[in-house]
Amino acid sequence: MNDPHDLSDEALSRRLQSELPRYNAPDHLRATILAAASARRRPVWMAPTLAALATAAVVLLFLLPVLPSSNRPDPVQRLARAVVAEHSRALMWGARSSTIMPTGSSWLTQESGIALARVFAGDDTLWLVNAEPVYLERERGVALHYRDRAGHFLTYVALPAPTLKLPDRARVSVGNWRPVLIQDAGFAAWVWKHGDLVCFLVSDMATADEAERFKEYFVRVRTATEPLLAY
Amino acid sequence: MASPEFQRDALQHLNALHNFAMYLTHNPSEAEDLVQETYLRALRFSHRFQPGTHLRAWLFQILRNTFLTFYRLRERESAVAEDGVPDWDMPMFHDAPDDTGSALEAHTDLERAMQRLPEEFRTVLLLAEVEGMPLEEVARVMSCPVGTVKSRIFRAKERLRGLLPDYRNR
Repeated sequence: MNDPHDLSDEALSRRLQSELPRYNAPDHLRATILAAASARRRPVWMAPTLAALATAAVVLLFLLPVLPSSNRPDPVQRLARAVVAEHSRALMWGARSSTIMPTGSSWLTQESGIALARVFAGDDTLWLVNAEPVYLERERGVALHYRDRAGHFLTYVALPAPTLKLPDRARVSVGNWRPVLIQDAGFAAWVWKHGDLVCFLVSDMATADEAERFKEYFVRVRTATEPLLAY
Repeated sequence: MASPEFQRDALQHLNALHNFAMYLTHNPSEAEDLVQETYLRALRFSHRFQPGTHLRAWLFQILRNTFLTFYRLRERESAVAEDGVPDWDMPMFHDAPDDTGSALEAHTDLERAMQRLPEEFRTVLLLAEVEGMPLEEVARVMSCPVGTVKSRIFRAKERLRGLLPDYRNR
């Protein structure tokens, strides 16, 4: 028998072992546990997998508007848009340099990666305003800017594109050539291949009345200009 | 799923686990739910049990962690009660039946004093003194060093003495 007044460590230990009531499990608990354990359970991987899939779906839903579109424009159209943007920039800013950059300068060739073996340097109706290196669609190229008597601004651009194929359906016969005519954002652009380069001539002469003059300008530039890959 | 051998070995500790659950919850219905949940977890994750280690300590550890998880959940829910008073009668498991949910009545001064101890002191005395677990096993169940277990036993007994009327009346 434990002495209730003895509260030493040993006595307290004895009292805890002998005086505390012990609550054994009721008889039905064992059967309940076994029944619950044998019940079919969802696989342990299902909940986290479903949660991950749901999270991914929600994230995708939010990102959908900013994901790159699958129906991207074809390479020619994409390049044409970049060139038109460059033309617009030059049109708005005007000739940034007051002096005409010599189109045959070694600096221009070095910066653009394109050598101009021959170049249309202008005549009595179309004047060369400037020449500059450009960087469009991850390619270095050269741009020549012209202005005519009526004040139309024209941009010639040559970019490396050895594998680019021009579509036949948009080709137009102009003299001995069959360049592609592209309309974009109110601008018109002639597009043609020159060896491993693709060349553009852009202007705002997009109406039918101006089409003939724009063809003449194309012939002048195309005939007199010979770009080559410098390296 | 757990092997029949594992089930058999685990169920050998059913009475000890139920007794421990009763002293943690003070409620027969919640104690049954706690034990059942402990076994379901143990059987579901039996592959994580390392054979050769102490199954009893592993089961007690699951039971205590399960209790603390639901206990803390209940504490959080109580903290936002409208009247600001914690509702200690709220069932720990939400599907606990009401008819068997009466609180455990203490039969002796010692049991009453045990009920008033903080959980960590109550647990350490139940495991070390009542169940006779080695200090290393107690340390594993409570996820603390053996030195901490010794210190808690000492402090728990001090607290228990203070709660016993024989000691107070001296």
